[in-house]
Amino acid sequence: MNTVTRSFLRYMFRRRGLTILQFLGIACGVAATVGIVLSARAALTGFSKAIEFLKGKSTHSIERPAGPMDEGMLVRLMRDPAVEAFSPVIERSLRLSNGETARILGIDPFLDKNLRPELAYGVTTDQADENLSDRLAFLTKNNAVLVEAQLAQRLGVSAGGIIHLVKGDFEVVGVFPNPSGEPILLMDIGHAQRLFGMNGRLDRVDLILNDGPGFLSRWENGYHVQTSLKRRETLAHMLRAFRLNLEALSLLALFVGIFLIYNTAMFAVVSRKKDAGILRSLGAHRSEIIAAFLTEILLLGSFGGMAGGVLGYFLSRLLAGEVGGTISNLYFFLHPVPPSWSLWIIVAGTLMGGIAGLLGSLWPLLELVRTDPARALSGRTAERRSGANARTLAAIGAGLILLSLLVFFLSSTQVYAGFAGAFGFLIGASLLTGLALVLISPLLKRTLARLGGLPGKVAAGNIHLNLGRTAVAVAAFMVALSMSIGLSTMIGSFRRSVEQWLENQISGDLYISSMDELDVPVSFYDELRAMKGIEGVDPYRNTLTSFRGTSAYVSAVDAAVLQRFSNFAFLKGGRENWDRVKAGEVIISESFARRFGVKAGDTVTLDAVHGPAELTVAAVFYDYTSEHGILMMDRAHYRRLFEDPTITSLGIFVDPRDPRRGEILVEVARRAGEHDLPVFTRDQLHANALRVFDSAFAVTTSMRVLAIIVAFFGIAGAILTLFIERQREFGIYRALGFSTLQVAGITLMEGVAMGLLSFLMSLGVGTAMAAILIQVINLRSFNWTVFFYPTGAPYLLAAATALLAGLGGSLYPIFKAWRTYPQMQIREE
Amino acid sequence: MSAMILVGAAVLLSQSGEWQRAVQPRAWKFPEDHGSHPSFRTEWWYFTGNLADAAGAKVGYELTFFRQGVQFTPKNAENPWSVRDLFLAHFTVTDVSRGGFRAEDLLSRSGPGLAGARTGQMDVWLLDWSAKMENGVIDLSARKNALELRLQLKPRKPVVLHGANGLSQKGPAAGEASYYASLTDLETHGTISLAQNAAPIAVSGTSWFDHEFSSNMLAKDQVGWDWFGLHLSDGRDLMIYVMRRADGSVEAASSGTLVERAGAARHLVRAEIVLDVLDHRPSSRSGGNYPSRWRIKIPTAGIDIAVTPLLADQELVAAGLPGLVYWEGAVAGEGISAGHKITAEGYVELTGYAGDLRSIMNNDR
Repeated sequence: MNTVTRSFLRYMFRRRGLTILQFLGIACGVAATVGIVLSARAALTGFSKAIEFLKGKSTHSIERPAGPMDEGMLVRLMRDPAVEAFSPVIERSLRLSNGETARILGIDPFLDKNLRPELAYGVTTDQADENLSDRLAFLTKNNAVLVEAQLAQRLGVSAGGIIHLVKGDFEVVGVFPNPSGEPILLMDIGHAQRLFGMNGRLDRVDLILNDGPGFLSRWENGYHVQTSLKRRETLAHMLRAFRLNLEALSLLALFVGIFLIYNTAMFAVVSRKKDAGILRSLGAHRSEIIAAFLTEILLLGSFGGMAGGVLGYFLSRLLAGEVGGTISNLYFFLHPVPPSWSLWIIVAGTLMGGIAGLLGSLWPLLELVRTDPARALSGRTAERRSGANARTLAAIGAGLILLSLLVFFLSSTQVYAGFAGAFGFLIGASLLTGLALVLISPLLKRTLARLGGLPGKVAAGNIHLNLGRTAVAVAAFMVALSMSIGLSTMIGSFRRSVEQWLENQISGDLYISSMDELDVPVSFYDELRAMKGIEGVDPYRNTLTSFRGTSAYVSAVDAAVLQRFSNFAFLKGGRENWDRVKAGEVIISESFARRFGVKAGDTVTLDAVHGPAELTVAAVFYDYTSEHGILMMDRAHYRRLFEDPTITSLGIFVDPRDPRRGEILVEVARRAGEHDLPVFTRDQLHANALRVFDSAFAVTTSMRVLAIIVAFFGIAGAILTLFIERQREFGIYRALGFSTLQVAGITLMEGVAMGLLSFLMSLGVGTAMAAILIQVINLRSFNWTVFFYPTGAPYLLAAATALLAGLGGSLYPIFKAWRTYPQMQIREE
Repeated sequence: MSAMILVGAAVLLSQSGEWQRAVQPRAWKFPEDHGSHPSFRTEWWYFTGNLADAAGAKVGYELTFFRQGVQFTPKNAENPWSVRDLFLAHFTVTDVSRGGFRAEDLLSRSGPGLAGARTGQMDVWLLDWSAKMENGVIDLSARKNALELRLQLKPRKPVVLHGANGLSQKGPAAGEASYYASLTDLETHGTISLAQNAAPIAVSGTSWFDHEFSSNMLAKDQVGWDWFGLHLSDGRDLMIYVMRRADGSVEAASSGTLVERAGAARHLVRAEIVLDVLDHRPSSRSGGNYPSRWRIKIPTAGIDIAVTPLLADQELVAAGLPGLVYWEGAVAGEGISAGHKITAEGYVELTGYAGDLRSIMNNDR
């Protein structure tokens, strides 16, 4: 290592405070990115692993277009020449008494063995006699289950133990290994039918076929046959919007992270300009200086990145659970595999820190190389041209914003274009910062002068004078604050929209439904309908079906009941839309309409039990339950089409003026209790829905907090650098007669002013971001309209953060100034 | 006879209670009694045959259906998945000229029509494998992993009742017995496919059908048995079984049946049968050391035959029920019957030489 580099590294030690801040800045940026990327990947890896594991060797699966099917079809299936092996399956999820959700697979171990030998292992192992009797217990004991090994470990049960489910106690007759780590309970298919009230019916049959096309030609009508690959794709597709949003969040984290590292690197270079000049004038070669800079930046970047990688890994372990929980809440049951530690995480973090650091130092380094030693010696002289620079950058920024808007308008459905536009807008806005600072400078000067007299004026001047650095710091902070405002406003508006929608749509007095995949017995529906005092019962059925080669939901309701009691919000029209539903037409959710390009009056074709059915769309309704689209029809019509009597939940409506109303509701709840069916009041159901909503946005909320923390470090570091670089000026101020207090005031005002400037800019940019998230991103990824409901809270939070960061960043320099008060700091160290 | 292995498993599988035992001779009625007897725990329909294609290439086959009772009354009668019986089926083809032995097996409960056996008529099926008798003709059908068999079997001799009018004693105690009836001489035509998309090969020859049902027929110290079903070229059919005990001795209740050309059957007691094992051959698959050449003498019938397997390796390791390993193969023989030189063909079954059979069988709780 040469002398120059050594001198640079020594400097890092001398300026420990600054070095630590820069280090933390880089580490946080990298951690945010690594954390979100890893957790997203963990959730999705868990997903594909679970799918792969459950698929086994099956090549195809067959099911009804909607709802379970009669098991009588098995006899026809087993005689089909294309069928090499088949296994009927009942697949549901059920909560354990510890609150965890497990997947219940009801299978026939003999048939399933050909498709999933690893599952059947525990059922038909050949090792010892005890296993033979276990095998029989699995078949003959109604409450026998096999438990996935990791779940068994978590619950502390082994063979012979008891596992508690919401539907009673089950005896563990064995444990089986599951590489995907998904909590699975295996149950004999007959017992699963009993448990879920599905005697004689199956959810699907997994198949090994030797002649797919031949099979398809025989089973086309009334059944839905798909290849395992297609099935996996369909499931993966359901996660598409969610995955996109995670990716966007990762990108955001990366964006803020790189911005911060860039910021740090740039300060590192700029603050050393004079040292470089001195060294050059002492005879150091240009290349030596550059090498020294690069070493410093790379060290900082790499070590920061390395620490960030480790930090990000721990962060991802926290987030993975949240991401998995969200997927389970919104889509289907999923157990995320916690991200496993790998040295690559460190490598990736190091590379990211290093590369972002290099990128950040590139521009200042070029500038440095162009500067002659004499000028460099004077330190910050290169700032003179910054006004012109700001204008150029602003022009580029304005261009970028225009381009982004153009992207929004030209590509009105593409989600990726939406994300690209959003990022373009953010970068554009950040490039405007310099000019904004120049323009606001006179106003700032006046304001600060009024507030703080001469020190205020000096503070304002300093911000303007150091534009090259202050602008970058303010821009980075502004971006973080804008993201925070944008995300919060979007989430707030979304939540408000959902609340509104719940008020309209979920208006029954009581709802009877299980949180698990347990159906409501049809007999109970009939019982309630016959009960005196109940005005209406809506037997709601919601299930996945395939539509145009992908999945969408089909729902069945009692149109007459909903017409009387609910208050559905339609895009067009009102209650009269139900008349047409009663006549056999369907209504579709907004997401269905947008996703498939269907509008009121169109005809859609749906595969039903007796072949394709042509359905006319009567109206489009607002909905936030599924981005995949819902097609809703009257129950009578649904039953004709799909021969599926299943009821997912019951909505009970009682006349509000009925004096016996309270009694009736209590009686309904009592009867539901006899069937082990949970009862929810309207308010409880609303609260549940909102809880799901909140958990869905938990990751986004965490990201927002992270963005704020990162930004905090960023601005504090930037302000700190500025001051350290200008320590000599403190001496000059003192020499000019400023008191220590006044010097502290200057520093404080500068810091706070920068924070507030960032905030002021984020007011506009953040609001615009919210609009983009709502009107572009949400609409395109989820196909639903969120109504814009801005509130003050996100702005207040941003303001508070800005103020605190400004204050925080100034405190250390003030402390330094205070401590060194006796010395006249005209001379630099 | 391999279903006797299952009998061992059955001891473990079910608690005997309501199951009926084979204690005294019964009144038979055919063809109804070719159907199922669900009050007994164990029942099998057992087909073996020695066939040849048009060019004379020899093919042997075994297709066997087992019904094994698990619980006399299923727990949830309203649900067809609730287990009463388990059905097993074994299907092997011995391609003598090409030296190939292939074995497949199935295992299933009755379920909603997945497997079953009717009473009053031979109609037993397990998924798409089946044996069904209609108008005196038996249709056999099985298919798995490109191995396929479709045969029609026509009896040339009347039903043979083994032992004492069909009560076949297997051990010294009462109830250690089975009801055992056979169609020993079945004229057979049909097709066998050995490879995917290959044209089915037309085959013909002679098959043997054993039907046996019982509950707990094995004695505790019995480890296995050797069974022979031979068609002699002079038109006689010979069945012999020898129960082996743990101490190496042979069960005194072991016996046989000789069916004359015209169909008359005669019970052979242990003392009439001389069975010499001439050679052994270890199995590469299971390590079991199987007898591989025999000399069978029935002096009272003037029979003296040397019997050799058509293929050495005809051992079946059932995937469906691990531990169930036995040798069941096509054999040929030559020697003397009633003073004349004859040839013989048929099937031999050897159990208890490999696998976990003994531990399963000794598990009488």
